[in-house]
Amino acid sequence: MNIVWKLLRQHISMPQMFGFFFANLFGMLIVLLGYQFFQDVVPVFTAEDSFMKQGYLIVSKKVGTAGTISGRASMFDNAEIDELKDQKFVTKFGVFTSTDYKVLANMSINGVNIANTELFFESIPDEFIEVDKSLWQYKPGDHVVPIILPKTYLTIYNFGFAQSHSLPKLSEGLVGMIDFRLFIQGNHHEASFQGKVIGFSGKLSSILVPQSFMDWSNDYFSPGRNAEPTRLILEVGNPSDMAVSKYFDKKGYELEDDKLNSEKSIYFLKLVVMIVMTVGLVISVLSFYILMLSIYLLVQKNADKLENLLLIGYSPGAVAKPYQLLTLALNAVVLVVALSVLFFIRGYYMDIIQTLQPAVDDSSMIPSFILGLILLLLVTVLNVAVIRRKILRIWFRKD
Amino acid sequence: MDQITFSSVVPQVFSAQVARLNTDIWNAETVFQKGKLYLLEADSGKGKSTFCSYVLGYRHDYSGQILFDTRPAEEMKIRDWTDIRKRHISLLFQELRLFPELTALENVQIKNRLTEFKSRQDIVRWFEQLGIADKLDAPVRFMSFGQQQRVAMMRALAQPFDFIVVDEPISHLDDNNSRVMSDILMSEARAQGAGIIATSIGKRMELPYDKVLRL
Repeated sequence: MNIVWKLLRQHISMPQMFGFFFANLFGMLIVLLGYQFFQDVVPVFTAEDSFMKQGYLIVSKKVGTAGTISGRASMFDNAEIDELKDQKFVTKFGVFTSTDYKVLANMSINGVNIANTELFFESIPDEFIEVDKSLWQYKPGDHVVPIILPKTYLTIYNFGFAQSHSLPKLSEGLVGMIDFRLFIQGNHHEASFQGKVIGFSGKLSSILVPQSFMDWSNDYFSPGRNAEPTRLILEVGNPSDMAVSKYFDKKGYELEDDKLNSEKSIYFLKLVVMIVMTVGLVISVLSFYILMLSIYLLVQKNADKLENLLLIGYSPGAVAKPYQLLTLALNAVVLVVALSVLFFIRGYYMDIIQTLQPAVDDSSMIPSFILGLILLLLVTVLNVAVIRRKILRIWFRKD
Repeated sequence: MDQITFSSVVPQVFSAQVARLNTDIWNAETVFQKGKLYLLEADSGKGKSTFCSYVLGYRHDYSGQILFDTRPAEEMKIRDWTDIRKRHISLLFQELRLFPELTALENVQIKNRLTEFKSRQDIVRWFEQLGIADKLDAPVRFMSFGQQQRVAMMRALAQPFDFIVVDEPISHLDDNNSRVMSDILMSEARAQGAGIIATSIGKRMELPYDKVLRL
């Protein structure tokens, strides 16, 4: 064993080193976990809807007591539609058409019946749907109807149903497993269709079918009952344009703004993560102090030895090196352990995130790794500098 | 390094009594030549250890100038002093400055590892000559002061030097061991053509001194 190390390790206090090790470990882990968690969770809120571009606005009327009684006030009449269509800020315009007949649906997965329910469809003009046009079409007489489901259905299924019934969790890629049977009645006709789920939308809260199917089926099952739309979809040139919100306010229209909600969520998430990371940083800084104090103590206790080493020709750098390497090794071990623990914790919560948002890109741990490395370097550089300074004070006999 | 010059050097502690200083070192011009042997005689409290600390550069509390060849001591950087301590000037401290946690051999090796000047056999031979071969692996704290003095001497010799300063090297040695130590010191110094500066407050190391200086 190196004689210098044999000499200088005298007075190294194990309890102090352990204290530093665990304090630094927790600090580092909290900082990295906060950062990694934020990285992993944000896509859940910001994930783009693959079927609809961001920036479409869905407009409805405010539901008030008067409207509830009259039953009509939530509809847009032709005059209102024309007026809105003519606004300068509107670049693309469409209405939601809903079914005027009864639909009974039977949903099953892997042959296990999930739900029998009465429901309704809506459709919007095909130009608002961004999907392969060959998938999104219906010709009268076809038995198969393409369907887009709200993403919340997937979440409800994955969390509420699949777990308790030992069924596989579905991701967006596995929509083919959903067996959707539709029974439609109306105008003395009866027909059954096969629903083909082609995807999920986070933006819309209703079940979408192609406009062509909607037009045909409304005509077939309930002719002459074309209800006025309750919701409109439009694209505006600049969504943050004040004129847009002013116009809607004036008219008493409401925007379905899920984007705002996700922004709020991200804001609070950011806040919480910042607080958590600050706590982690404070713990890290405190642990840094523990290390510095014990190194100070160590250098102080070994001051005679250090001075003698300097006097027999060891350079301050050579004398400082064992202690600098000690802190580097400690910090490196802390980083490795912190990253391993982070890896396991992440494995646990990523399961949940992937159930919530199956299509989320699997973000990597590399940014956390880099952050950890930066912290390690920062702390080590400080340690090294402080130790060197301490040794130089011995050289200049200042203590 | 061929010479060390003390030019009007006065330690700060003596600055009030400059007029009464009657020495060959303080407030005087003294040159130590490489290859020559010097004896510094002094009563205690005259600044023997102070002299040593100035030569090795760990105290600088003086007025006047100390020159290594032509280079003033105050211009020297940490790296220069480290180099001097490693290669040019060796010092046997009066207070020895050994490491009590280490064995006798390790105390010598810790210097020799730095300079890689002597082989292990050389060092073991010294131990034998000085009669403490049985103490090679004994912790130095369990040895008598006289034995420790011999270990410190070996450590001082485990490096190349132009000058070796021995501060009361034989204060706790019997005549026989003093002679052995003198012989080893002389042969090492001769081999390198180095100068020897020995101090004494009474019991002097018997060497063919070129000059005796009063401190």
